[in-house]
This record gives sequence, C-alpha cells and structure tokens, in this order.
Amino acid sequence: MPQQLSAALAPGLGAASWPDFADTMLARMAALEASLIDIAVIQPAEPFLDMAGEDLRRRIFLTENEQGDSLCLRPEFTIPVCRSHIEQAFSTPRRYAYFGQVFRQRRQGDSAFYQGGIEDLGHADRPAADARAIAEALDLLAAVVPAEQLTVTLGDQAIFESVVAGLGVPAGWQARLVHAFGDADALEQTMARLASPPQTGLSDKTAAALVDRGDQAALARHIAAVMTDQGLSLSAGRTPDEIAARLLAKRLLERTRLSAPALAALKRFLALETPLSQATARLQAFADEVGLDITSALEPFSARCDRLAGKGIDLDGMTWRAAFGRPLDYYTGLVFEVSSRLEGAVLAGGGRYDRMMTLLGAAQPIPAVGFALWIDRIAAARSGS
Amino acid sequence: MTLTIALPSKGRMKEEAMAVMAAAGLPVRLNGDDRSYRGRIEGRDDLAIAFLSASEIAREIGTGGIDLGVTGEDLVREGLENADQRVAFEARLGFGHADVVVAVPDIWLDVTTMADLGDVAAEFRARHGRRLAVATKYHRLTRGFLSTRHGIQLYRIVESLGATEGAPATGAADIIIDITSTGSTLRANHLRILEDGIILRSQACLVRARKPAHDTDADLAALLAQLRDAADRNGRA
Repeated sequence: MPQQLSAALAPGLGAASWPDFADTMLARMAALEASLIDIAVIQPAEPFLDMAGEDLRRRIFLTENEQGDSLCLRPEFTIPVCRSHIEQAFSTPRRYAYFGQVFRQRRQGDSAFYQGGIEDLGHADRPAADARAIAEALDLLAAVVPAEQLTVTLGDQAIFESVVAGLGVPAGWQARLVHAFGDADALEQTMARLASPPQTGLSDKTAAALVDRGDQAALARHIAAVMTDQGLSLSAGRTPDEIAARLLAKRLLERTRLSAPALAALKRFLALETPLSQATARLQAFADEVGLDITSALEPFSARCDRLAGKGIDLDGMTWRAAFGRPLDYYTGLVFEVSSRLEGAVLAGGGRYDRMMTLLGAAQPIPAVGFALWIDRIAAARSGS
Repeated sequence: MTLTIALPSKGRMKEEAMAVMAAAGLPVRLNGDDRSYRGRIEGRDDLAIAFLSASEIAREIGTGGIDLGVTGEDLVREGLENADQRVAFEARLGFGHADVVVAVPDIWLDVTTMADLGDVAAEFRARHGRRLAVATKYHRLTRGFLSTRHGIQLYRIVESLGATEGAPATGAADIIIDITSTGSTLRANHLRILEDGIILRSQACLVRARKPAHDTDADLAALLAQLRDAADRNGRA
C-alpha cells in the first residue's frame, strides 16, 4: 500500500526531491485512520487570500486563467482540504491525510517544498482531538527523525480570551485584544491604548449631539440621510446602524480605562511560560491571585493535558507559553510547534481552527484541528544527524 | 563611463526636472525636435539624457538600466521591494508633491484612526460576508502600511487604475488608498484621510541606482553635489 501511494503522489515536477523517507512517513500516516486526499496543484487564489489576507499575495505564485480568475500554485493544504470536504458534503467526523509539494516564496529554502499533515474535522471532543493531533505529529517525527531532540511549545487562545473577559475588559476592547493575540507588537500597542484611550471629537455637530444623548436610532437615521445624500449605498458596505452602534461603543470605550492592577495582571499573564505539566496549576494559581474565574477555559485545557499524559507523552518536556498564538481570525484554541532542540528549526506546526469551516462556506460550524510537517526541514535534520 | 540620466517625458514633471537641471548648470538640449526622447548636455559627452514615463524611470532605476532619474518617490517605493537597498534618494526636488493616503467615507464618523480601521476590518467578514475592500493601485505600499505597519491583515485589494476616489460611491470598494495633493478630489467624493493615514509624503526626487562603480566615480559625486545644490535652492524658492 505505501509503495502504491508514493508512486501516485510523486509528481513529475520536482520528483527528484521526493524525500527518501517519504515512504516511511506515508506508511506511518496510513496507520492513523485518515483518508489520504489528493489536492490539485493549481488552486483558485481567492480562498487563500481571503483567509490569510493580502500579505500572502507576495508569497504565493499567482497567475490568471483566460476568464481572468486568479489561480495559484497551492501554498498549503489545510484550506483546499477543508474546501474539498465542504464540496463533497461528507459527513463528520472525518480525518484527512495529505502529502505533497507546496509552493511559496520564502526568504530561505526552495520555493517548492514538501509538506505532509493531518486535518481532523468534526470531532466534538476537542481536548481528545487536540491531544491526538500533537501525539500524531510527534509520532510521525519519531518515525523519521528518531534521534532528534524535540521541543514542543503550546499556546491557547481560549485561555487568553478567558483571562481578558475575566479582567472586566469592556467588550470592544476584548475584541481588539483577542484580534491582536499572537502579534506581540500589535498586542502591546492595544494595551497601551487601553491604558490611556485616545479621545476624538466629532466635526458633525448633529451627530455629536445625538452621541451625547446616546440616541442610536436617531443617529442611524442621521447617518442614513447623509449617506443617501452622498450617493452611498445603505446596504452594500457598512450600514448606518453599524456606524452608529460603533460610534456610541467607541465613545463608551474612550471613557473606559483598564485599571492599573488589571493591566498589570494582563501583562503578568502574557509573560507566563512553564512546563506543560505545571501549566494548569500555574494558571489556577494566577487566577486565584488575581481573583479571576477562568474555569470554562481551564477545564478543557486541563483535560487536554490529561489526554496527552494518557498517551504516554511527557508533559515536563513541553512548554506552555501564554502569549503564543496566531493573529488570524480562524484560529480559536490550541496552537503548537515542534522544533529541533539544537537547530531551533520548526519541524511541525498545528492548531485548532474551529472558525475556518464556516468562513469557507460550511453550513454548520465544524470543529477542526490539524498539523503540518515541514518535510524539507525534516530532511535537513536527518542529514545533519 | 557614460552615465544615463532619465527625466520625465511629459507634463509639468518634465518642465520642472529640466529647470532643476538648468539651475544646476546642466541645461538639457533635445536631440532633434521637442518630441524627441533623447537629449544631451552641451560639453558633457559623458552624460546621456533619456526621457521616459515616470513609472518607467522608477522601474529602470531598480534594474540599474539607468544610473540617475527624476521621478516620484511613491512610484519608486511602489515599484521596488526594499527600495532603499537598491536605490539612493539623492535629493528631494521640491515639486510633484503628493501624499499617498488612506481615506474612508466621511460618514464613517467612528473611524478616525488606523486602529479604528483595524477594528472595522477585523469584524467586516462576520458582518458582511466578505473582507473589507480597498481600492488602490499601490499594492506594495498598501501591504506595507496595513499589514506590516498596522497589523491589519484582513482586507482585500481591489485593483483601481483610475478614478479611485469614486470606488466607495460605486460600491467597488469600501475605502481607498491613493495619492492626493490638495485633498480637493477626496473632499468632492466625501472621503476623509485618517488622522494617522498618511503612508508617504511623496515628491519628485533625484534617484540613483546603487551600483558599485558609482562609489569611486568622482565625476558622479561632483554632479550629485551640483544637482543637490540646485534642488536646495529650488526647495527654498
């Protein structure tokens, strides 16, 4: 079976770089109860740009078809795997495995390189599915770089969200903080603004009076009248209601300042870094000290740790970092990276992306977790050792 | 060694660039009639003058096809990744002023800063089922300012090659990133520049392709000094 798989997957393009350990890895993947999926090399570019943002445009290989649609060489597998799942309307839970070349312009390394991975869609027991993803990434790495010393770093956006909510941060500011999570600079700027919110005036006197009165309905009517007068559609983009609501919310936020102790607590939280074996206790101690209730996020966190320990994984050797996350709106919980201890190269990375399936058009929310293996870096680690 | 200097091929940019050259004691003679795209400087056979479009000058400076050129900083920074490593801005010439700005519909009363725009962009997909659409012809400057500088990832660029200010009213885009000199076109289209939304204060510049041979060229150094001097006088005027 693995031999056939590799023959089917090794394309003419770049076949010379077909890694010598691919068969070993594919055999191991075949045992992971995931159906191997074949993804076209040429993909519509829209979904990638839509999910990851315009900044991706300079890192992917773009072209157009005769109709002018943007196409690209697949820069990764997760999005096409999810789209394929939605198109085929398969039932969940369902697990996919992939292995093949991806194409990205990088500062270091070739633009065409192999990735392999697993996407686990629709398993409602999130702690179990999270633990399984981490365990499988480690298992696959153990098969191909058995001698490599690995370090595992974990983060969890759900914990951050829970802390922010627990500190009594106003909803508008919570959204800003959560959005910046994973981007240290953006997060710092947001916290600075939260400590001393900028004040803005309104040159539109009618609007200013309505804001002072807090009359959202009248404010929306005023805005609608101006928009109509200026020939702007009331429905194609931001609506009068939306602008009015945010204007009032913003006025409220300008009057809210995060208290110095709460800000200090947030900073202390973000600096937390501990072996995973002690993370639950550390978080509980932090919550008790600050007087927070983060039970709803801590329970699944702790359950995930238990599941990992149940798989015989050494939690002492893993690091949990409070500030570790990814600033993309579809990541919702766990993120993790497995690196070579000596070289520092990231060999595997993954996380939970519960928001992606609906963003891509799934009718129902579908929980999703997965990981990707950087095959070229694994090859480098093998030749180094 | 012959140095090629490129000047804008038409309009006020051409006139102003020729004036700076003349002020530097380097009057440009056209080869043939007014419409010629080649020129020379009396007594300086080591200098060749080429007339090109301003955006072509930006590109040719980047590839090193020409040594010096007069063009807008906006075009150079839009055309070249890591512009400062590939070219040197030798002098700002005091004309062709235009700011590249982020402008939103004036009625977006709640959006006055880039941070506000970031909030709106973050929520846009959930509210409207699509990303915030930005009309611009400045792809690179937009990505650098929104993505890198302000951490705003969730938006889509809508290519706009002209009349960009009209895009919000026609529904082609939500906001725009474009050049403005007086702001009157923006105001006429009910658009407002964000308080911290100035991406670049651009003007015509004397730009040099970074080439190793330039480093030891005494004639070039003297020429640059002459042109800088003329540019300074032009800037004060």
